[in-house]
Amino acid sequence: MTTNGKDHAALADEFNKDEPRVNWHDETLWWVRQKRDKAAHNVPEWELLRDTASRIKDNVLSHLSEYLIQFEAMAVSNGITIHWAADAEEHNNIILSILRRHRIDKMVKSKSMLTEECHLNEFLEQQGVDVVDTDLGERVVQLAGEPPSHIVLPCIHKKKEEIGEIFHEHLGTPAGNADPQFLTHAARLHLREKFLTRRVALTGVNFAVAETGEFVVCTNEGNADMGAHLADVHIACMGIEKLIPQRKHLGVFLRLLARSATGQPITTYSSHFKKPRPGQEMHIVLVDNGRSVHLGRADFRNSLKCIRCAACFNTCPVYRRSGGHSYHTAVAGPIGSILAPNLDRKKYSDLPFASTLCGSCSNVCPVKIDIHEQLYKWRQVIVQEGHAPLAKKAAMKTMTWVLSNPSVYHTAGKTGRWFMLNVPFTVNNGFNPWYRQRDMPVSPAESFGEWYKKNKK
Amino acid sequence: MSSRDKILAAVKNNQPGPRALPSLPGEDTAAHTGTVDLSSAFVSVLEAIGGSAYTVSGFDRIATILHELHPRAGRVITGCPELAALGEYGEKYADPHTLEDVGLAILSAHFGVAENGACWITEDRMIGRALPFIAQHLALVIRRQNIVPNMHVAYERIAELEAGAAGGNVAGGDSTGGFATFIAGPSKTADIEQSLVLGAHGPRSLIVFLIDEELSDAGFY
Amino acid sequence: MRVGLFIPCYVDQFYPQVGIATLELLEKFGCEVVYPPNQTCCGQPMANSGFEHLTKGCNALFIKNFEEFDHIVSPSGSCVLHIKDHLHGDGTAIPQKIYELVEFLTDVLKVEHLDASFPYKVGIHQSCHGQRGLKLAQMSELMAPPFSKPEKLLKMVKGIQLIDLSRRDECCGFGGTFCVAEEAVSVKMGKDRVADHLQHGAEYITGADMSCLMHMEGILHRQKSTVQVKHIAEILNSQL
Repeated sequence: MTTNGKDHAALADEFNKDEPRVNWHDETLWWVRQKRDKAAHNVPEWELLRDTASRIKDNVLSHLSEYLIQFEAMAVSNGITIHWAADAEEHNNIILSILRRHRIDKMVKSKSMLTEECHLNEFLEQQGVDVVDTDLGERVVQLAGEPPSHIVLPCIHKKKEEIGEIFHEHLGTPAGNADPQFLTHAARLHLREKFLTRRVALTGVNFAVAETGEFVVCTNEGNADMGAHLADVHIACMGIEKLIPQRKHLGVFLRLLARSATGQPITTYSSHFKKPRPGQEMHIVLVDNGRSVHLGRADFRNSLKCIRCAACFNTCPVYRRSGGHSYHTAVAGPIGSILAPNLDRKKYSDLPFASTLCGSCSNVCPVKIDIHEQLYKWRQVIVQEGHAPLAKKAAMKTMTWVLSNPSVYHTAGKTGRWFMLNVPFTVNNGFNPWYRQRDMPVSPAESFGEWYKKNKK
Repeated sequence: MSSRDKILAAVKNNQPGPRALPSLPGEDTAAHTGTVDLSSAFVSVLEAIGGSAYTVSGFDRIATILHELHPRAGRVITGCPELAALGEYGEKYADPHTLEDVGLAILSAHFGVAENGACWITEDRMIGRALPFIAQHLALVIRRQNIVPNMHVAYERIAELEAGAAGGNVAGGDSTGGFATFIAGPSKTADIEQSLVLGAHGPRSLIVFLIDEELSDAGFY
Repeated sequence: MRVGLFIPCYVDQFYPQVGIATLELLEKFGCEVVYPPNQTCCGQPMANSGFEHLTKGCNALFIKNFEEFDHIVSPSGSCVLHIKDHLHGDGTAIPQKIYELVEFLTDVLKVEHLDASFPYKVGIHQSCHGQRGLKLAQMSELMAPPFSKPEKLLKMVKGIQLIDLSRRDECCGFGGTFCVAEEAVSVKMGKDRVADHLQHGAEYITGADMSCLMHMEGILHRQKSTVQVKHIAEILNSQL
């Protein structure tokens, strides 16, 4: 449940009130899925690559403690300061303490879903620190006062006219100008000033290499680099699961990431950070925040293989028609629905049910996470731990009784059909959610079982 | 117990049983064999992602083309001694903020990758890490025969370059300096309704020059 | 060949003609078809809603009814997949012996010819569990050679015109209790699927899962469309 009590179904219901907009959102993201298909099609060994990446990540999870120790040792020997944060609060405090030590209250930040997960921006704002998100999409939602709705395309839910209005209000662009080229250029100038004047840059980490202690940041915009190379202090935040064993494995992941995410063969920049610039401080914050617990769950640990490409979002027919904000969590979509219940079982108990279990997600996932199978398994856990609504529990108990007893089932079926045929109002009414937008099936005179008895036995 | 100890203990306790590393896909990609195929594949991908490419016989050609394409580049910085006449060459810039007004940077990269149009460039060739990003326009120079088919071969090539740079000493691979990057095309974004816009925060354009001394100038620029 | 016929609960109650078509089709290919009268449901509605722990009674009943058969056939991809994945207990061999109708016809009976006629424009709805779970057809997500068992069978029907679709294998949105728990998204998905078929001129929408078709039919009827749904068993069993 969100803080205002609405679950995915309720939020999705609101989202669907504007059908043309749903069509626009759905078609835009389906187009991204198609670009992914085209790019994948150009790599004849695509399925082998997925399998290889999956097995590399399996190896990482099975040796994670050793890789973490190796990574730390290498990074430290390269002059990087390593911090360990057990949870979101500690992560936020570590970053604040670095800022305080340098007496800095303004910074730039490039995309990091981890910092969204930890609610870093709100925390820093409360502490009087001004954070500017420099990814164009993130800057748009930051100015709009909203969270991102997609982990790769943060403002995919916003139309260009709306972005134009936001820029008019905050950047002074002409009213009514919705030209993407013009708006992007306005953002370029606005954010260039920030890059040039701010001394602390925070980035995410796409991949961290245990063998060398380096980390890789992938962007199309160049904002991570503009921030980092102009800052006195570069802080990189990463979940502990973002490691890969050796440098050569980057070849596998860099071939898969952008193709899966947007259909590009690679992002414009794949920057390998190993040592701080002379005179610069470089920090890496390694964050647990429930990951080590999740690692211990045999049914669910595979979700830690995620490389945050969002291919699962783009292919999910439910995500495309409900939007990221319906998931009321930092990472939405299918992968978010299997990660979030680990963070807060009750708050995110609705998410594993926001799916038809169609299986499309698992089959676009570059690291072969069994997303749809985990969704099913989370449903069992959530119900067993008592988070199912009472009405549903009662209905299921009734269904169990009916379906375990043939004579009850036959009677119930016959009765139900009789009512549907003779007193259709009993089901064709406003209390029946099916009936809102669909007609009920027509009741036949006899069931198959009755026909068989009459005609065959 | 520090957070580090807590986290490592929890991870060690919860990590599953060992799973072996797989071998990596070999060098084969579809239809990439000789140098000619690789460079035309490289060029076609680079152009598809918004960059431009020129195959030239030497640096004179590069200078001519850059004069045509960037006649009012303003401040130019180059890392190529052959192009020293075009702008600043051989200087050091202690403060990257002073590079803010660079119109064009011309740098020498190590190699290109045919499957994605990317070029690999290390810090020692960047004249400061900020330059390839802060310049309004960027040009990279590679040798045409230095194009590898895919990223697996790219990392093999990177390992060779590092071993060479360290005189064969590759312990921990830390011999090439602290920063390097793949650059594939100009900076870009499609964040506004999936409309592709070239020129986000990095350079607004990228040209890659592929030098091939075997080429004659006849029929080319 | 002696075959145990498993008819999904909602087919039994609302679409007996699908069960009849399935039975007749199997008999046409020489099977002795037996319908255990005390069958009810595979348990999927409870299991998919998180109540797998309540399906023991259902499972025991299923095993009791069907264990004796060497082959069990059902006109439902999602029910068969559920049984294959989730029926455990008593060392039952049923998961290895249960088949969805289409795969039974192509893989076991190896049907190459049908005496059927259905001269209409037909769109194939690739139900997700059958397609991605039972591998009845190649899925668009994978970079792999195309194939389709339902299409192979339908092409044997005289006069049939199979239409293309813009989105070959997008989910219809039924999803079990999802169809009412997330009613808005479920209906929107169904409307979009229906629209795709209509845009390409379908007169009938077919598939191997009546649940998907029931959901699309509900939408078609509400739209007062003349387009109808027809389970693949009915088309393959249609008269010359």
